[in-house]
Amino acid sequence: MKKRSSWKRFFEIKGMRNALTAFAGLVVIYIVFGIINTKVFSLMNFLNVLRSMSKYLLVGIGQSYVMITGNIDLSIGSVVAMSTMLVAKLMTMGVHPALAILVALACGLLIGVINGFLVGKFKLPPFIATLGTMFVARGVGYIVNNNRNTDSINSTLSKPVADHFQNLFYYGKFLGIYNTFWIALIIFIVFFFILSKTRTGRHIYAVGSNVDAARLAGVDVNKTTTITYLVSAFCATVVGVILCAQASMGNMEAGNMYEMYGVAAGVIGGVSPLGGSGLLLGTFAGAGVWQVLENGLNMVHAQVGIQRIVIGVIVVLAVLADILLRNRKKN
Amino acid sequence: MSDVIVRMEHICKSFPGVKALDDVSLELRSGEVLALLGENGAGKSTLMKILSGVYTKDSGTMEIFGKQVESLNPNSARDAGVAIIHQEMNMCNDLTVAENMFLGRELYKGVVLQNAQMNEIARKYLDELDADIEPTEVVRNLPVSKQQMVEIATALSTNAKILVMDEPTSALTSREIENLFRIIRKFREEGKGIIYISHRLEELPRIADRVTIMRDGKYITSGKFSDFSMDEIIRNMVGREIKDKFPRVTCKRGRKVFEVRHLNAGRQVRDINFSLYEGEIVGFAGLMGAGRTETTRAIFGVDPRESGEFFLDGKQIRIRKPEDAIKAGIVLAPEDRRKDGLCVKLSIRENIALPNLDIIGGKSGILSSSKEEEMCARAIQDLSIKTPNENVNADTLSGGNQQKVVVGKWLVRDSRVVMFDEPTRGIDVGAKVEIYNLMNKLKQQGIAVMFASSEMPEVMGIADRILVMCDGQITGELSREEATQDLILKYATSFQAKQ
Repeated sequence: MKKRSSWKRFFEIKGMRNALTAFAGLVVIYIVFGIINTKVFSLMNFLNVLRSMSKYLLVGIGQSYVMITGNIDLSIGSVVAMSTMLVAKLMTMGVHPALAILVALACGLLIGVINGFLVGKFKLPPFIATLGTMFVARGVGYIVNNNRNTDSINSTLSKPVADHFQNLFYYGKFLGIYNTFWIALIIFIVFFFILSKTRTGRHIYAVGSNVDAARLAGVDVNKTTTITYLVSAFCATVVGVILCAQASMGNMEAGNMYEMYGVAAGVIGGVSPLGGSGLLLGTFAGAGVWQVLENGLNMVHAQVGIQRIVIGVIVVLAVLADILLRNRKKN
Repeated sequence: MSDVIVRMEHICKSFPGVKALDDVSLELRSGEVLALLGENGAGKSTLMKILSGVYTKDSGTMEIFGKQVESLNPNSARDAGVAIIHQEMNMCNDLTVAENMFLGRELYKGVVLQNAQMNEIARKYLDELDADIEPTEVVRNLPVSKQQMVEIATALSTNAKILVMDEPTSALTSREIENLFRIIRKFREEGKGIIYISHRLEELPRIADRVTIMRDGKYITSGKFSDFSMDEIIRNMVGREIKDKFPRVTCKRGRKVFEVRHLNAGRQVRDINFSLYEGEIVGFAGLMGAGRTETTRAIFGVDPRESGEFFLDGKQIRIRKPEDAIKAGIVLAPEDRRKDGLCVKLSIRENIALPNLDIIGGKSGILSSSKEEEMCARAIQDLSIKTPNENVNADTLSGGNQQKVVVGKWLVRDSRVVMFDEPTRGIDVGAKVEIYNLMNKLKQQGIAVMFASSEMPEVMGIADRILVMCDGQITGELSREEATQDLILKYATSFQAKQ
């Protein structure tokens, strides 16, 4: 067998073509909006885009993990809400932010474990299992503060503590870029590494490609499935914390539809909802496309309805184009 | 008797990068069974897909019933009288027999489906085949042999005069094969033309009138079946002489490696006891549904079991899931490679690496791509897997090469016991011999080898010792010397005989 150059091998990585196409699309969209309104190119706007896309990137990472095993997680948005409510409520009770975050993480991961067991061990259809936990987590979010949004965290926490929390997760910068993006980037790198370079990652692809063959090859399907739902719940919890830091309070309706934003980010970047293929690099680009569209449409003063329509069309077009290209290649 | 009903001449068909068919010709006459032979990847299926309108030819001419046909689609092919009985059943498993038979051409009155009428017509065709099938039965609940009858009945109901059968006997028991041959002979008498594709050359003398042989997308030869010797046929298919269809090496039987005691797992695995020794290959024979597959799965920890003790090199081991078996050095190359053996969307490299990630990842779990590539390159070379490179998806390979990947992924690690379930199903003569050589190599290395197979010549040709199963039990044990087809069959049906 001939040794191929590392360059060529890079392009041969499965899903790389889709991911790079999404990146190219991202650049094109950004430039188009920039030509319409040059403010899009301003540094401030660029930094804002990075910060805002972090949320989509995080839910995208979680949903991509789940989708690569061929499943889906509908509970992401609700876990975001539960997390933001828990963190905010605990802080209004005077609990230190670090402890509050740990409690929220524990609760979020519990939902992940439940999802994992329902789907992995008891073979519930993932759509149903996570539909259930979606309602449960949202319900918990409501109960946390008796069906009301929480008060401001500044009301009880001392100003330095509250400021530090809010800066760390939202308002502060490091090397000129908002911390939110750094947090998302670190999480992205870690999960990118796990998915592409470790045994666990390979098991995730195998389960999504063929559950039976994976089991017969010695893969613990239940464990692998549970790990993906844990990743998803973890990412959703972090988003909840970020939203709390941004609003300095807990909003019960936070995270609405985020599970679908996660699907969109993944799918635009080439993650197959049928499982077995996709790269987190694509998800990164997908989250970027999503945010640049939202930002760009805002900057050209398109109304919310138009934004939704454009985004919906783009998601379908991205996948349709891929399918058409693939069919043409086949014939 | 001898009017030509299908004439395909100089057919060419290319796919990106591959010339699948290169100047192929084929002639089918009414009232004959034409055996279309060739190794996997010879282009038989592509040619048949052109005849049935799935693919369009690039060049060449095609005549059906003397009428020139330029391009076909599946519907116009059906209207022209062509029907294919697929190797893998193409039916909606949750619909009933009649619903499947009328799929796409349902009978209506206004907008209302005429179920009663359709059931009645379906019953008529099923009765014609003497198939004991209710039109209202759900297809999923039927055994494979009956599903096949439904496909044949469907073909009849479309008034097909040209029947293409792709590996129709690969999943049938010998009695079911008898019935199928009876039906094929009836079709022949009625003047229909049958194109019969099979890798089981031993059944051809009973059914084939003429043969057409293809190799590597090219037409090789055709003629009356009786004019060919079996060796000639194989030589034409493979392109070289295969001296020994069942190569055999003799080893001294050594220590006991693996013992199974009192294995029970459901209805099809009942009190199984046996041992495997160094330097021998043990073959499991039996009819369809005798419990061979279930036995291997129960040992491997895939399916739950009620009882069973395993001893490896004299020490008792526990197997609760496949990982336990793999860790202990017991591996299984399963029967259904597309369902259980391969992740078809993953590359060959990833498939070979999958059960060996403990080696590639080490303690940290971080995969070393150099180790992975080295392992994969070794497997590709050792098994001479034909592939452009190791990164192509597993489903782009031919059946024989897919099977080599399924087997190969287990051979790169040190195992003590290797179980094969139907190791050569649906693969061609040349690839079969390569698999047998592989089994022999394992045997020489002192690894305990067992395999389950429903092809009796294979069991008798390769195994040093034969265990026959019937209805979930081991009903007979034969050495290679004492084994005969009759004796195996006697044990394989012993349970039914008692009743």
